[in-house]
Amino acid sequence: MAMFSQNPLMNGPNYSFSQTPSTAAAGNKEHSFYPYTDNGGSTLAISGNDFTIIAGDTRSTSGYNINTRYSPKVFKIGGTTSSQDDATLVLSVVGFAADGAALKERLDAIVKMYRYQHGKPMSVKACAQRLSTILYGKRFFPYYVTAILGGLDEEGKGAVYSYDPVGSYEREQCRAAGAAASLIMPFLDNQVNYKNQYIPGSGEGHALQEREKIPLPRNEVEDLVKDAFDSAVERHIEVGDGLQMLIITKSGIEEKYLPLKKD
Amino acid sequence: MNHLPQAWGRPRDDVYGAYDHAYLQNGPKQHTQSPAVTGTSVLALKFKDGVVIAADNLASYGSLARFTDVKRLRKFADTTVVGFGGDVSDMQYLDRLLNSLDIEEAYGGSSHTLNAQNLHTYLSKVMYKRRSEFNPLWNQLLVAGLDGEGKPFLASADLLGTTFSSPSLATGFGAHLAQPLLRKVAFDEEAAAKLTVEEAVEAIKESMKVLFYRDARSLDKYSIAVVTKDGIDLKQDEKLEKQSWAFADQIRGYGTQIN
Amino acid sequence: MFIARSEYDRGINTFSPEGRLFQVEYSLEAIKLGSTAIGVATGGGVVLGVEKRVTSTLLETSSVEKIVEIDRHIGCAMSGLQADARSMVEHARVESQNHAFHFNEPLRVESCTQAICDLALRFGEGAEGEESIMSRPFGVALLIAGYDEDGPQLYHAEPSGTFYRYDAKAIGSGSEGAQAELQNEFHKSLTIEEAETLVLKTLKQVMEEKLDSKNVQLASVTKEKGFRIYTDAEMAAVVERLPAN
Repeated sequence: MAMFSQNPLMNGPNYSFSQTPSTAAAGNKEHSFYPYTDNGGSTLAISGNDFTIIAGDTRSTSGYNINTRYSPKVFKIGGTTSSQDDATLVLSVVGFAADGAALKERLDAIVKMYRYQHGKPMSVKACAQRLSTILYGKRFFPYYVTAILGGLDEEGKGAVYSYDPVGSYEREQCRAAGAAASLIMPFLDNQVNYKNQYIPGSGEGHALQEREKIPLPRNEVEDLVKDAFDSAVERHIEVGDGLQMLIITKSGIEEKYLPLKKD
Repeated sequence: MNHLPQAWGRPRDDVYGAYDHAYLQNGPKQHTQSPAVTGTSVLALKFKDGVVIAADNLASYGSLARFTDVKRLRKFADTTVVGFGGDVSDMQYLDRLLNSLDIEEAYGGSSHTLNAQNLHTYLSKVMYKRRSEFNPLWNQLLVAGLDGEGKPFLASADLLGTTFSSPSLATGFGAHLAQPLLRKVAFDEEAAAKLTVEEAVEAIKESMKVLFYRDARSLDKYSIAVVTKDGIDLKQDEKLEKQSWAFADQIRGYGTQIN
Repeated sequence: MFIARSEYDRGINTFSPEGRLFQVEYSLEAIKLGSTAIGVATGGGVVLGVEKRVTSTLLETSSVEKIVEIDRHIGCAMSGLQADARSMVEHARVESQNHAFHFNEPLRVESCTQAICDLALRFGEGAEGEESIMSRPFGVALLIAGYDEDGPQLYHAEPSGTFYRYDAKAIGSGSEGAQAELQNEFHKSLTIEEAETLVLKTLKQVMEEKLDSKNVQLASVTKEKGFRIYTDAEMAAVVERLPAN
């Protein structure tokens, strides 16, 4: 009987639209589009007494490919001209470059609007909080970037704020982010905050006295940044090509570009 | 022989399983999850007074060479050429989008105000918006032309909205095979700014040839465009010349040869 | 042919041939019926004062609320339709909290005033398709006092949506007389205490009732204490200081 029914459900062959099962197989269909990618690279920020340096390499990658050797990750924010030459804030973004670009443009527009609405430039403190709310606003479809914001605080001291992709933030002395963060950050801990450096012969074990922290002068910080990136380039394939440094002081933002190894 | 006419010309259920009516169901709206008919690499290189860009004329359906006369370079105004890699239907959608943009521009009365840089910004926003809606346009685009200052401009935008610019660019297989060759002639912007149009065209043609040797989804018929301030020279029926397959019998390990 | 003021004062969104919006102008008249409110800005802070019209001996005077807090550093006094002020103050409070949430800093007094005035013309549809949220213009004017990085400031916001900053300003039914008095008495080196006295003295002159510590209310905004409404004891102390006629 079944074999004459022409119904596949009754074990018979079937070629008819009206008789074939009209529901799809059970189970969820997998989404194969993944909206993120990692474009590599690293960023680094250090604040001094009256300056902040934010730096980033200029390589952009897709897997093992180099997209380009010059794609900046460090941006001036909130200037009044298209060249941004009167800006006082700097944002660095590393991770998914398209989100980074979108985030930069959004923050820049907000800082510009703030100047119109409140008749004053935005402080780093205010911008830091705003950046946090922007990032958290996309908590369930995050901007896949590690952001660092830099500038001078209300007292003219260097300020660095670092973020996670969903907006947790903290003001710090220094921070490395991106592909080579795990290579650079321990170096910074040791060379900026003198971690694990003790005064020789000052005691035994816990009695050892820590080396006194001193605010680093600008030229020394610049050298630290260069050394950090030269080292990262040696050991990380996604870092290289060029080093872009923005130095924020009360007289404006100075930009420096140095070549890095291109291998 | 099956006597139900509805079934004629259809895959047999007993062989291929029941017909999947999923697309007829009012289930969730489906977005593109993978490309269907695709174009392979697009190559481009900046030179002294402009940009050269090329792509072959093949549209593949998986490993099937489905359409062999598909033009994947598109002119916009007199300053820009867009090269499309990836899904061909999404390319055609973007083509329509650019056509309407072109018409809107023409209504302005004055001559075109959108240069290659403007167009790249526009296209990258379209791409990023669509990826953010989880409904991507499955393409990688190269935008070649002149920027607002009349200088050579070359940049890329892809289905994720990622953008970058470089003296030479190549999508898909070209990123692996052609980009190293192009970087040899234009290591940086300074080197590219010294290239003549002849040198640039030669480098691109040579790269297209290498791609045809090694990319199974490529074709020896291609389009090539040179954009300079004098306008766009677009040729869509080129054929790869001076091919040499002498290397082929040196290849071991794929065919029927003994060792 | 239309006769001016008979046809064009109906539609709130319609200019008269002379280029006037009568309903907005009439709303300014509503304020002239309101109780008098005065603000005086000094270097050390801003003082706000209002008269409470105690219409019955059975009225609980503390329930007459004509000075309200917007944020810790901003407050306002009102004259006109008090109910209208509620939605303006609510808007200002939200705006102020929003600003603090987004920027981790207090909202500037001018920005707060601007935010309130942005509401004033929402009786018509907005340019970007915003729906009309009111059927008529506001019938209340505000004196907005605050302290920010630019020091103490006093603003006057009208139903027309315009605002100005003042050293000293009076609004409401007694505003003409009061403003003349302020004009004579104000000087830049006023202290907070002198401002308190000036406000009450001026109110006293224009009030119909006899001024006492129950039918007036003072508030101040200073750097140290922010916005503060005076307690009964403080009110009594200031009234005590007033020269007896």
